[in-house]
Amino acid sequence: MDSALYLTAAIVGLTLVTIATRSSFFMLPARIELPPNVERGLRYAPACALTAIITQGVLARDHQPYMSVHNYQMWAILAAALVFATTRNMIAMMVVGMAVFTALRLSF
Amino acid sequence: MAPLSVAIAVWGLVTGVAMVNSGLSITVAIVMTLTVFAGSAQLAVLPLLATSAPLPIVWVTALLVNLRFVIFAAASRKSFVMLPWQQRMLAGYLNGDLGFALFARRFADDPERGNPVQWGYFYGGAVVNWVAWMGSSIVGILLGGLAPTDWGLELGAYLALLAVLIPMVHRLPVVAGVLVTGLIAVATVHFPLRLGLLLAVLAGVGVAVGVESQRPGDQPHGAVAVAADITGEGEVA
Repeated sequence: MDSALYLTAAIVGLTLVTIATRSSFFMLPARIELPPNVERGLRYAPACALTAIITQGVLARDHQPYMSVHNYQMWAILAAALVFATTRNMIAMMVVGMAVFTALRLSF
Repeated sequence: MAPLSVAIAVWGLVTGVAMVNSGLSITVAIVMTLTVFAGSAQLAVLPLLATSAPLPIVWVTALLVNLRFVIFAAASRKSFVMLPWQQRMLAGYLNGDLGFALFARRFADDPERGNPVQWGYFYGGAVVNWVAWMGSSIVGILLGGLAPTDWGLELGAYLALLAVLIPMVHRLPVVAGVLVTGLIAVATVHFPLRLGLLLAVLAGVGVAVGVESQRPGDQPHGAVAVAADITGEGEVA
């Protein structure tokens, strides 16, 4: 597919997804409520989706699992997760993650 | 509001840099940030766009990441339901993570719903958020174009997503859900059309709901409490 067309279609669809999810219950009549069963599923989908993107991006390479000691991104993500879980400081976490990755990349 | 603007600005900067480093041109990245206006969804689809993944997979992934906004909308609709539809749509579009967290915390216990004070607070926060986000992500896009690609800055996108994910993972059901999702996502990474991603999310959500049903007394109740629970009390997202 043409790359400009692909990206245009992607961005139009993504914008509609933002509007549809953010405005969802603002647009629906008041008598329609969120059923508890649906809410339960919605509650966990974002965390699971983020996990799938991160793990497929960091723990795989060329469509194969890549969990080797030479996977520098894996060590960087683990270090960053530790920093963020203990400090909740996003800047510290980004700096540590990038520093670990760069140190490993330049050392080996 | 000022410390929050700093948090938004850092997040925007990171998102901007990550968009350009994943291979988007500066023009496409700026158009994307001005229209899509959803940082975590933008970051989540970058690896998919970089490999020309099928469009339905791109859209569904963004939808899954954005489903938390459906719960936010359900939680704050009472303050907006009396407005004309154009204004409701605009308010919804602006009702992102931080705006919602501030608004819900300020007015969750307010019995009167939908008055000029609430709308003023909402739109005031939304304008600050919009300006901080757009300004910083465009600066990030312009800076990102200057850095050599072998610095590994695409890792920044995953680090930023991690900052959204970690505060969400604080109860047993969601811990179980993300562990199962992670294992299946890696094991199915060779599936065609990135279908392993969707399979992993479905399995993870199923496990989380299953674990939750074993512990019925442990759950938040009411849309506001549920929404705060998802984001870990409104962390930067």
